[in-house]
Amino acid sequence: MNPPATEVASRLITLLATLMLVFQLLLVVQQMLIANIRLFALQSLLLTGIATVVACAYGAWHVLIVAVLTLLGKVIFLPWLLQRLVRRIKIEQEIHPFVNMPASMLICGALTVLSYVVARPFTSLARLGSNTLPVALALLLTGLFLMSNRRKAITQVLALLTTENGMMLAAIALTTYGMPLVVEIGIFFDVVVAVMVLGILVFRIRESFDSMDVSKLNELKW
Amino acid sequence: MNFTPAVLLAVSLCGYAIGAGGGLLFLRRERLANLFCFGASALSALSGLAAAMLFLVGGAGATAPQFELFPAPLPYLHFSVWLDPLSAFFLLLVSLLGVAIAIYSLGYARGYFGRKNVGVLGALFNALALATTLVVTADNVWLFLVAWEIMALAAYCLVSFEHEKAEARQAGVLYFIMAHIDAVCVILGFLMLFQAAGDYGFASLHDIGAKMPPGRRDAAFLLFLVGFGIKAGVVPLHIWLPAAHPVAPSNVSAFMSGVLIKTGIYGFARVAFDFLGAPPLWWGVTVLTVGTISAVLGVLYALMEHDLKRLLAYHSIENIGIILMGLGAALIFLHTGNPLLATLALVAGLYHTINHAVFKGLLFLGAGAVLHATHTRNMEEMGGLIRRMPQTALFFLIGAVAISALPPLNGFVSEWLTYQALLQGFGTTNSLMRLIFPLSGAMLALTSALAAACFVKAFGITFLAQPRSEHAAQAHEAAPTMLLGMGLLAGACVALGLFSVQFVRLLDPLTQQLTGQQLSAQLSAAHGLVLTSLTERSGTVSTLGLSLTGLCLVPIPFALAWVFARRTKVRVGPTWDCGQRSLTPRMEYTATGFSKPIRMVFKALFRPHREVQREYDFSPYFAKTLRFDSHVEEVFEQQIYRPARVMILRAARRVRALQAGSIHVYLLYIFGTLVLLLLLFAI
Repeated sequence: MNPPATEVASRLITLLATLMLVFQLLLVVQQMLIANIRLFALQSLLLTGIATVVACAYGAWHVLIVAVLTLLGKVIFLPWLLQRLVRRIKIEQEIHPFVNMPASMLICGALTVLSYVVARPFTSLARLGSNTLPVALALLLTGLFLMSNRRKAITQVLALLTTENGMMLAAIALTTYGMPLVVEIGIFFDVVVAVMVLGILVFRIRESFDSMDVSKLNELKW
Repeated sequence: MNFTPAVLLAVSLCGYAIGAGGGLLFLRRERLANLFCFGASALSALSGLAAAMLFLVGGAGATAPQFELFPAPLPYLHFSVWLDPLSAFFLLLVSLLGVAIAIYSLGYARGYFGRKNVGVLGALFNALALATTLVVTADNVWLFLVAWEIMALAAYCLVSFEHEKAEARQAGVLYFIMAHIDAVCVILGFLMLFQAAGDYGFASLHDIGAKMPPGRRDAAFLLFLVGFGIKAGVVPLHIWLPAAHPVAPSNVSAFMSGVLIKTGIYGFARVAFDFLGAPPLWWGVTVLTVGTISAVLGVLYALMEHDLKRLLAYHSIENIGIILMGLGAALIFLHTGNPLLATLALVAGLYHTINHAVFKGLLFLGAGAVLHATHTRNMEEMGGLIRRMPQTALFFLIGAVAISALPPLNGFVSEWLTYQALLQGFGTTNSLMRLIFPLSGAMLALTSALAAACFVKAFGITFLAQPRSEHAAQAHEAAPTMLLGMGLLAGACVALGLFSVQFVRLLDPLTQQLTGQQLSAQLSAAHGLVLTSLTERSGTVSTLGLSLTGLCLVPIPFALAWVFARRTKVRVGPTWDCGQRSLTPRMEYTATGFSKPIRMVFKALFRPHREVQREYDFSPYFAKTLRFDSHVEEVFEQQIYRPARVMILRAARRVRALQAGSIHVYLLYIFGTLVLLLLLFAI
């Protein structure tokens, strides 16, 4: 492996990771549901790209399997599933978050700064893409913020998936050489199953409460 | 194949596992499940018994067998068992009871046919026996704790086996809570030991207390005392015992009272004598005091009971107290530098452990047979059973004599040894502390006397006189397997009484391990026929001699009668009935009436609640109806546990505000925690 190639790869990974963060911020401000799903699909595509770059540039061929799985699962299958769900239950397209758009942006900006601060001790140690760990952390945090900021169950599923993208990014770009394939495949199937279950749950919530608003679930409390 | 202790132990463990699996396999076929499960546990227990005997007979020189059950998936975790003398002694106890109770269960479980799932009962029983065996044979902390937890869970399921009864559910929950408080204490204690040793193996924990700072060592000791004390049922941690024992199926009560609570003693003996090193004085004093209080209060509350199984449960508390008196005295003697006396006290405590297991197991099995026949646990509804179930009555009587510490049965021997240790303890130290010995000796004497009174009541009200209810009148003798189970334990009572010197010899390797002394030579005199107490001056006793003397004395009254009363006429007439028309069960002495004098003497403690309601038309001397209510409530229940419960519930209600019911709030909790931790980390 000649040095220029790793250099290029490293820069490419940083670029793609930053783009993932950009898409995440777009997700935060995008108000339409279908567009949200598509943004998630694009973000996953970027993740696939990163995995491919890692696999090719560093000869970690088992990462390629992760890339293929991400492509099939998160870029094609899950968005398709979610879009079908949205069409079938015929909900309104607009999302009404608890915190309004400008405030959300500010919070997400703060979270990103926080993740850079937290990750500072590690960035110099990272062997590739010195920006990837803070980006991954930022994805995770903003994903969590998204989850608690959205009312509808299906948007929370999306937020969970972006959080998971952040974890995958951290896993691929930083630790993959150490992390066995089995673990990654395990995480992956976890996510798929979780989405399936949540999809069914969304259906049930819709049936029982005539709405997808999870705020109404507190009627279950005794 | 060579039958070494290791092989036999492995066979026993496998057998229990197969029995547990079989029970689940034959859920729908109760007869097969009954035969398979309890057959398997009887054989496994027999194998365990053989392993323990072989090892103990081998003496101090026998090598400790140690093997791994299956390879562990994680570092540190080793599923390996061993037999050292202490383990072997408790394995002997577990297996001996296991054999008898499993055989008894073959008959007893038939009572559940068509009503409850016998497969589940059998599977859980096997699981409990397996876990208990593992607890006493585990050679490292992990396996010990895992088995400890399985044991608690299996016992919980068995206590609430008849879960359609609210009483059984409540007792189960109470046991569950107490078992977990106990697990917490034990785990914390072991973690402290681990910190000092850096290893989880029991072998490397030996005498680890010497390496610990004194404060930590004391804290560990207290944690273990509370943890194992809950399991053993010492006052005031005993409240689960009288709740859980009565509602469990009787074979399970026998196992719990005979074996399960002894695992607390095992744990305590293991920790106090093997791990924690030379004890300071206050350890022994604490244990001796706790034991004395348990013994006296246990028997006093037992006297107030007229639920046969609750009565036996309170007696378990009493006997655990007596065992702890022995162990506590041993700790004091170790401190004052009298290893011989310490060994004597230790032998007394451990001897009483196995004795209590045997006779309390027997009594619970007898109570089970009575319950099986009369469908009631209330003694006031029994009576006259000796005519209807003579063999059960005989076995129960043997158990009652043994627990009342009457010679020549086993209870006498161990309590005699305990007395000897306590009385000789007075001379060992000059501090004021030595007063504790005669005091607890006196308390032990009081306990024995009250226990005897209690069993006069238990046996008399249950088996003698006329039946007090329809159920009692229609009682029938227990099934042959049940009788066989009881017979085995009755035989063990007699054997442990008569051949005490021989049994003490089995304890030699154990005392060698724990105190470095072997006592059997000093304790036996006249070629093992007589038991002495170290110094000839303080006393010797021979149960064999006593029983032979008793046998020789039997013909004398007959001979006297023959000599002097040969010529008088024998006249048979009706029992004097005070001029009433005939004797009815309503005239009989009741259990409550029998215990009234004692209730009055100890009024300050019992604070009996009495209430008389009288309805009359014109004069109080001609009452139309009369209602009398009298009951005794436990002091600890009122003073400690009830306020604690109220406090916990109040705190829980406060905390419930956190549970908002909204997913967003929960998500915010997680999110907030994460951000906060990251911030803390960053700054």
